Amino acid sequence: MSVVGSVVGFMIQTLAVSSIYILVAIGLSITLGTLKFVNFAHAAMYLAGVYIGLGIALELQFSGDIARSIGLGNVGLDLGFLAALAIIPIITFGLGLLMERFVARPFYDRPDTDQILVTFGILLIVQELIRAFVGGRSLTFSRPAWAEGAISLGPLGTYASWRLAIIGITSVLVLAVYLYIEYTDVGLAVRAGTEDTEMVNLLGVRATRPFLVIFGVGSGLAGAAGVVGGPVFSVVPEVGVGVLVPAFLVVVVGGVGSIVGSVVGGLLIGAVEVGLVMNAPTWSSVGIYALAAVVLLVRPAGLMGAVEVDE
Amino acid sequence: MSLLELEEVNSYYGESHILRGVTMEVEEGQIIALLGRNGAGKTTTLRSITGASPPEVRSGTVRFEGNDITGRRPEDISALGLSLVPEERRMFSNLTVAENLHVPDISRNLLNRIGRSEETGKTGLSDEEVYEQFPRLDERREQKAGTLSGGEQQMLAIARTLKQDTDLLMLDEPSEGLAPQIVQDVLDIIEEIAEQGKTILLVEQNAAAAIRLADYCYVLDQGRIVYEGTSEELEANDEVRQEYLGV
Ligand SMILES: Nc1ncnc2c1ncn2[C@@H]1O[C@H](COP(=O)(O)OP(=O)(O)OP(=O)(O)O)[C@@H](O)[C@H]1O
Ligand SMILES: [Mg+2]
Repeated sequence: MSVVGSVVGFMIQTLAVSSIYILVAIGLSITLGTLKFVNFAHAAMYLAGVYIGLGIALELQFSGDIARSIGLGNVGLDLGFLAALAIIPIITFGLGLLMERFVARPFYDRPDTDQILVTFGILLIVQELIRAFVGGRSLTFSRPAWAEGAISLGPLGTYASWRLAIIGITSVLVLAVYLYIEYTDVGLAVRAGTEDTEMVNLLGVRATRPFLVIFGVGSGLAGAAGVVGGPVFSVVPEVGVGVLVPAFLVVVVGGVGSIVGSVVGGLLIGAVEVGLVMNAPTWSSVGIYALAAVVLLVRPAGLMGAVEVDE
Repeated sequence: MSLLELEEVNSYYGESHILRGVTMEVEEGQIIALLGRNGAGKTTTLRSITGASPPEVRSGTVRFEGNDITGRRPEDISALGLSLVPEERRMFSNLTVAENLHVPDISRNLLNRIGRSEETGKTGLSDEEVYEQFPRLDERREQKAGTLSGGEQQMLAIARTLKQDTDLLMLDEPSEGLAPQIVQDVLDIIEEIAEQGKTILLVEQNAAAAIRLADYCYVLDQGRIVYEGTSEELEANDEVRQEYLGV
């Protein structure tokens, strides 16, 4: 393979991995930026995306202990991947609204440690519920037929269409959310509220509402990440924690509250991970921590962030 | 009936009792000055009126247009036509001038109005009217608010509240930290707004200027109103001015 080919190949692989981290990281970053809320339960939205998405796209086998004892069989709508990709963000948007109202809001004024304990606890509960109902073994979330095979990009080489599809879907979603935040009233209220929530209230706007909406939007993105990531990462209950860690590092590296930061952070984390997996696999998970540590030493607020992350 | 009435208001920050039975009235169409030394409780009074928290109003009543608004949320009180230009201007510094001016307009958005009984979404000045009154802002529409000079930021803070349908404008130390020439510009703007029919409650360290501008004055000390009178009376009362205002 030519040098250009291997560089492009590396980039495409990086972009595909980064895509999923970015989709998860944006919601984390926004809630941390606007509401100063550390939401580890955000990864439960990814899990919802994977498992409910699998049920919508294909079929979900309930083979956990509880499911067996109550005789729950398989549930599958078999509507296909695109249907799952369309429906899941709506479902997780709704779940996000509920989570904001009943989980997050009561903890806004509490210390970070309380928020971490509660939200991480919720993530573990969701994980164990999945184990109890669906079972702990790894499921197969098959790629849609249209994304099998490879596409030739002329002189740049030939690449798995699936990776290109992930990159395309992510770009559209991230761009849509970026435009939403930059150019709508809700987005403006969120940006203003990130700087000074009380001032937004004093100007007659009930800031809790745009914050609620944007929490839902972030959850919707994490749900979409689950659908996109389902066929890429393994489908096991622990995958929630599995994507949470790199997504959190993306936020730390990119800077809290910035979508552009999440994209840049996601690309860096993805590049380091893919580079190490290719060349020094044993170092791959350590590498992203090292990157985060270096970035924080040089720029405590992250690359694009204005707000410093505590601790 | 006065536009705004405070009756025996007691406000606390945690356990510290700051406002100790503040009673005052703001007549429609007037400029009222609220004066006092550092730490006297002026900002606390304004925050108690707007519903901002802290402080916590533990007893007493705040009435606006005859309605009890004590303990209501800031966004509801603001929707009723009572606005605050807070201490230190509080720009959204990463937003442009135009975006800062657009934030009050969001109160007209359906998401903000739905299920709220207040007359949310009433409009004040249009963009064009604001830019006409504040030409310096017009020239800087796309500039980030954080990069404006102090005087320009104060203008923007005032302009922002005029986009709401305000009846009573409360200003907390609008001349703070500004060069003398700019202070005069800000005072002129306040006078102009008053002439346009808005009622003004003005908190100022610059007591002499505030007394000159105001129709009626209150003097606050250690959370109590220690003096009230017309500007002429306060002007003539050297004792009060020396003891509580240092002028
Ligand atoms: N958030 C707070 N928590 C605790 N105490 C506070 C808080 N804000 C103000 N205080 C105290 O309340 C008292 C009144 O403060 P306030 O800010 O109302 O004074 P002020 O008259 O506005 O003074 P200045 O002219 O310096 O702005 C002061 O003793 C101050 O230390
Ligand atoms: Mg003050």
